[in-house]
Amino acid sequence: MGERLRLGPAMLVGGLALAALGMSAATLALRLPPALWIDALASPDPSDVQQMLVRYSFAPRLATSLLCGGALGLAGALLQLALRNPLASPTTLGVSAGANLALAMAMLWAPGLLAVGREWTAMAGGLVAALLVLGLSWRRRLSPLTVVLAGMVVSLYCGALAAMLALFNSHYLAGLFIWGGGSLSQQDWTIAQFLAPRLALALLAAALLVRPLTLLTLEDDQAKGLGLSVPLIRLAALALAVALTGLIVGTVGVIGFIGLAAPALVTVAGARRVGARLLWSTLLGAVLLWLADQSVQRLAGDFGEMLPTGAITALIGSPLLLWLIPRLRLTLQPPAGLGEAVRRPGRPLLVLAALALLLAALVGLSLGVGYGLEGWSVSGDLLEWRWPRALAALAAGILLACAGGMLQRMTGNPMASPEVLGVSAGAAFGLIIAMFTLNEIGRAAQLGAATLGALLALLAMLALARGSAAAPERVLLVGIALGAMFDALVTALMAGGDPRALLLLNWMTGSTYAATATDAVVALLAALASLAALPLLARWLDIVPLGGAISAALGLPPRRSNHVLLIATAAMTAVATLVIGPLTFVGLMAPHLARFLGLQRALPQLVAAALIGGILMVAADWFGRTAAFPWQIPAGLTATFIGCPALMWLLARRQRA
Amino acid sequence: MPDEAPLFEIEEARFTAGGRTLLGPLSLSIPGGACVGLIGHNGSGKSTLLKMLARQQPGEGAIRFRGRALADWGARAFAREVAYLPQATPTGSGLLVRELVALGRYPWHGALGRFGAADRAKVAEALALTGLDRLAERVVDTLSGGERQRAWIAMLVAQDANSLLLDEPISALDIAHQIEILSMIRDLAHRRGIGVLAVLHDVNMAARFCDHIIALQGGRLIAQGPPAEILQPGPLEAIYGIPMGVLTAPDAGLSFCYAR
Repeated sequence: MGERLRLGPAMLVGGLALAALGMSAATLALRLPPALWIDALASPDPSDVQQMLVRYSFAPRLATSLLCGGALGLAGALLQLALRNPLASPTTLGVSAGANLALAMAMLWAPGLLAVGREWTAMAGGLVAALLVLGLSWRRRLSPLTVVLAGMVVSLYCGALAAMLALFNSHYLAGLFIWGGGSLSQQDWTIAQFLAPRLALALLAAALLVRPLTLLTLEDDQAKGLGLSVPLIRLAALALAVALTGLIVGTVGVIGFIGLAAPALVTVAGARRVGARLLWSTLLGAVLLWLADQSVQRLAGDFGEMLPTGAITALIGSPLLLWLIPRLRLTLQPPAGLGEAVRRPGRPLLVLAALALLLAALVGLSLGVGYGLEGWSVSGDLLEWRWPRALAALAAGILLACAGGMLQRMTGNPMASPEVLGVSAGAAFGLIIAMFTLNEIGRAAQLGAATLGALLALLAMLALARGSAAAPERVLLVGIALGAMFDALVTALMAGGDPRALLLLNWMTGSTYAATATDAVVALLAALASLAALPLLARWLDIVPLGGAISAALGLPPRRSNHVLLIATAAMTAVATLVIGPLTFVGLMAPHLARFLGLQRALPQLVAAALIGGILMVAADWFGRTAAFPWQIPAGLTATFIGCPALMWLLARRQRA
Repeated sequence: MPDEAPLFEIEEARFTAGGRTLLGPLSLSIPGGACVGLIGHNGSGKSTLLKMLARQQPGEGAIRFRGRALADWGARAFAREVAYLPQATPTGSGLLVRELVALGRYPWHGALGRFGAADRAKVAEALALTGLDRLAERVVDTLSGGERQRAWIAMLVAQDANSLLLDEPISALDIAHQIEILSMIRDLAHRRGIGVLAVLHDVNMAARFCDHIIALQGGRLIAQGPPAEILQPGPLEAIYGIPMGVLTAPDAGLSFCYAR
């Protein structure tokens, strides 16, 4: 708790509640004269449409937003306390994504399940995802960063699966998508009446957990020494949080961010004891979602019903989170570096050669082999059509892998990557702004805009996370907040219904479908330039992860190296994003896969990462082209689909050397 | 005090954070070519002073190294002269001992220069001096605490600087390794004429291994001199604020202090 910060949690909740109240009153006043408010709520005149709307749409929506926000705030606080992890939340642990995937699967293959109750299906999905995350990070004794890495991987995978299901069954799942965005639109009081008693029960259960959770704030061994069954309490808190999340995902859809932001904000505002943190998180979550939802209705006007609130919560929450991150006291651990020691192979060159061979084989496969109306065929006839997209995918893979590896070394954070740190989102945002404000823009202008966006996002990230060498959590939080904010802005822009939005959507999922020859050549040149620059930067990249003190002592002031590395990373990300879209996660996966192969020094690791990135993207592009012919699965999606299981397997397998 | 030219000259140095003065005003000159111990109670400003000398932390006042203001030194030129070991060294880099030690050559070859025969020779020499030959191909993170600390000191040796600034180099080690590391550091200082300034927590260790001791209290200089002068009840009480006594072990000829 910062000394300068005198804002108590009550002040914070009160202030935000006042803002939300004012907004609600203003919205209501537009619909109905204040004199009629009480009447409309208590006994509406059935002949007055406006009164009926207030009674059966406006009021229940408000109540639902409060209940959902409260439930998510409580779930987030429970997870953060149980795992002693300031980054835990239903979204970061994959619970929301798992619940959403379970619903999509049930809708397609077992609609009968949904009749029993959507929330049960959602809870089951969330539970499976949460258990998977914990299983993956069990060997690392649930260390906060590993848990979040596993959570992100599981989340990504569930998201990719759900998106694929949606692609193949678009007519069934269209409804799922609108509601996957977390729409709070209501027609009556059913949902509010359904949620209220369940939230009350959950609060009661949480109250019972206050004392054991207080002990859990100590180290595990100390808690055990005081006679606490650590796994039991952890599981109970987890189950409660999963149940709450499943409830919300099952009734209104995925609403991100509240579960992360509310407990974090409450801690900064000065709630210290476990009971206070749980209570204020619930209240703050409720108020935050209320405020977000009212803003949506107010800003979007008539489109308010169309714009999913869940996508917009980040617009309110992330600036708040960004403001509080420098004030957040995180458990300071010594810089954890890039992960624990791994076995090192005798011959890194052999590994690199094998990877290069594999890549060459895949490129050959991608160019020569296809699946068409007559089945499988091997021919060079279609080369003209195939090479731009294959090479664009290759180049994007190389660029993202290099950028990811450099960011991981620069921030000393094993989870950094252009996608995770919001750099890709920044590039996408720059591009979108340029597309929507300028009429005719060429590829060069697009590239400039994307680079600028990426650079701004990176600079914001580094400025906000200053002194972050000791707290990788902080960098990650900033990245998540920035990414969420950009995503929300993009969603808001796209909800406007502009025809250009369709183009954007295709590009956002990482499709190489439209890559032109020029795109491919430019991207490939950029990729080759990056590879050529690696040896020049290798010494810096070896020293930088050792932290600011060491690198300054060796005569390499971090300021100097960071400038160069930042600009390089931003440019690489911008080119890749332009070709493949912002959502591939190759930049996160490839450097890790290279490390798991035992390559630790900067140069071999980054070269291997680049090769792996290329392999992943070329394979993904080819697979996406042939697997579901005549449909195309976007390469970005497929890359996630292929790379995530690999990362999960390695995560579960690796041990301390 | 050894009669070499002073390594560092400090004039009216001061460091404040959040309205609290952590160090200074302090005027002091630190001798070269000797093993100098920096002692004091918790929060006395010893680490702050070391960080200012290592250019890790900017502060007020004037500090000169070899007669030239600290700010006038280029980053790599300074790193060739002064090597610094922070209190907490990072883990998880995945480097081999030999690779870590080779990073110490960065000030000499820079980002693009060739890693030549001279660099290789310095690395081999540093490994030999610190007794790490056998462990050169091990991953640093798999070493024991004492071995890991030796590897970091070897990196500083390979840096070939003629002064070392060490921030609590023995704080996390058991007594056998404390003795081992400090003997090694003293030998380096004496045999190779390297000036060492080490922040030490343990007065007895400082007295046993250092040629000269500087004591801070509340950010100010309270005493300095050879160990025999500092290890007296009077100065010790002034430094730590509690009554202290000094014993001599007849068999080893060593003096020890204890709290009375």
